[in-house]
Amino acid sequence: MIRARRRGLPWPLLAFGFAVAFPAAYGGNTAIMSVATQCLIYAVAAASLNLLMGYGGQVSLGHAGFLAAGAYTAAVVAIHFRLPLVPEILAAGLVAAAIGFVLGLPTGRLHGLYLVILTLGFGVAVPQIALNWTGLTNGWAGLAMPPTTLWGLDLTSQPTLYYCVLAVSWLCLLAMLSLVATRSGRIFMAVRDSEAAAMAMGVNVWRAKVKVFTTSAFFCGIAGDLLAHWTGLVAPTSFPFDLSLLFFSMVIVGGMGSIWGSLTGAVLLVVIADQAASVGGLSTAIIGGAVVLTLLVAPEGLASLPRVVSWRLRRMLEREAPGEIGRFRNRDQRVRKERRA
Amino acid sequence: MVQFGQDVIGGLGFGAIYALAALGLVIIFKTSRLVNFAFGSMGTAVAMILWTLLSAVRLPLVAAWLLALVGAAVVGALTDEALLRRIEQAPSLIQITITLGLFIGIEGLVGVLWGYTPKPLPELTSGGSLRVGPYFLTPDQLLIVALTLVLAAALHFVLERTRLGLAMRAIAQDRDTAMLMGVPTRRTVALSWAWGVLLSGLAAILVAPAVSLSPTMMDQIAVFAFAAAVLGGFGSLAGAIVGGFIVGIVGNLISAYLSTNFQLTFIFLLIVAVLYVRPHGIFGSAAQSRQ
Repeated sequence: MIRARRRGLPWPLLAFGFAVAFPAAYGGNTAIMSVATQCLIYAVAAASLNLLMGYGGQVSLGHAGFLAAGAYTAAVVAIHFRLPLVPEILAAGLVAAAIGFVLGLPTGRLHGLYLVILTLGFGVAVPQIALNWTGLTNGWAGLAMPPTTLWGLDLTSQPTLYYCVLAVSWLCLLAMLSLVATRSGRIFMAVRDSEAAAMAMGVNVWRAKVKVFTTSAFFCGIAGDLLAHWTGLVAPTSFPFDLSLLFFSMVIVGGMGSIWGSLTGAVLLVVIADQAASVGGLSTAIIGGAVVLTLLVAPEGLASLPRVVSWRLRRMLEREAPGEIGRFRNRDQRVRKERRA
Repeated sequence: MVQFGQDVIGGLGFGAIYALAALGLVIIFKTSRLVNFAFGSMGTAVAMILWTLLSAVRLPLVAAWLLALVGAAVVGALTDEALLRRIEQAPSLIQITITLGLFIGIEGLVGVLWGYTPKPLPELTSGGSLRVGPYFLTPDQLLIVALTLVLAAALHFVLERTRLGLAMRAIAQDRDTAMLMGVPTRRTVALSWAWGVLLSGLAAILVAPAVSLSPTMMDQIAVFAFAAAVLGGFGSLAGAIVGGFIVGIVGNLISAYLSTNFQLTFIFLLIVAVLYVRPHGIFGSAAQSRQ
């Protein structure tokens, strides 16, 4: 484990360096910066869903609901309480986490399909509730985010927003990464792999499931807060069922059980959606095709690709080089020749 | 009271559509233990094919219908043969996910091929609404409800009285044992996929005149049909029918008396309530949903 880590390149650090440096290459092109910001926000949402699916072994087809909860909290808190950015982000995460906690409560009883229908219903219901709770959410029109500043920097202008989102999202990704390395994370994975075995080891399965639901919702709520700042407007139509499906696709394409995989999946799919936006339906078709292809070719997603490729390469090299196997084959032939003689 | 009755009747048409689509889901689930989440966009594709056959190729109505439905059956069988068979051994989450991927992919493909401008499909019947006592019914509603009930009866007959049905039930109970007993499992599963997608296609064709034909037309209907199947207890034909009609009627009552916007929310609340009392659906048993 440690050896493997030392041998590989420090990919997360390189990626972070790239993310910090790349705006310079584009000279602050706002359109590109906007897409990059979207990549980071969706990466947090996808990683939070991955925490639930890849590590917790649960399914959710309604993560856009948590995103909406976070975004609406951000808007309400920013408009009515004028909180600074950091408490506002925490509030968005906590409100989403509270909803996630309530939604996670029945998971002890609900499995598979029934969990799918519960989360699906939640995801569909949140925009409808937002639409009808006009006193809080302003209905169709939605809530406009008031201009936010952080240490005197204007968060509505582009490079600033990008760097702020980069900092928050990287913190979230690192937090999730260290969470899965802790005792709690190990418990999530134990429950995922076998509930019965985990129970036999003294794990409270139900509590672990509620915990993973709550944590996942917390990070998705933070993503929602960032989304509110990015779009500048929080409206019921911003959180369709398709968005939940998009996060789901990101997790699958990136690889279940890999936080960095989710970042890769999010960047890939956001860029695809951006590039193919001119033809209606094209991006959806490509994303669906990518999901199917991933499951057929590499079910563990992009994250497993380096491992799979290097394994294939090594096997090819071994076959050609006179390694152990080759030598034995030669000896075999020699023995046979001697026998014939 | 008359108004209430009229609202109940108004829900029958859509209820029948949900029931049909739910039947398609249940048939597939029975043999392959999988939920075909792609059924919505597969149905839309079938309806689009029908539109092309009618408007571009100008086939007569009956021929176009038959061709489109045969196409649906082929798509279903191919999905099983070409995709799901390859990942038979994978965990069920992966298998379910591949149908979700298909759902997204086919919806996008339909959008690319046919575009997003709504298209009209002709109504099946002409003439004004019928009057039954104090209530009004459109001939289309009547036809859809009748067709659904007849198809459900036919399916029940096939399942209970024919060799194919026996094979399906054997596979539903225990696939490996069925295979050992000489049941042609692969062919039977592929056939049930063909039937399931055919029913989804039929549901889409029937609902298309009421909502306009577009790539996302089936999204909401698919969610309702899935809800109906869960409500009835996945794996039961009667459950799919009853679940479909309950969702259709309750949905119509909610939009009539509470709010159109809240329809889905309340349907899901109803389902959560039902599942709380009966965790395996109205007609389901614990053994059926155990996987």
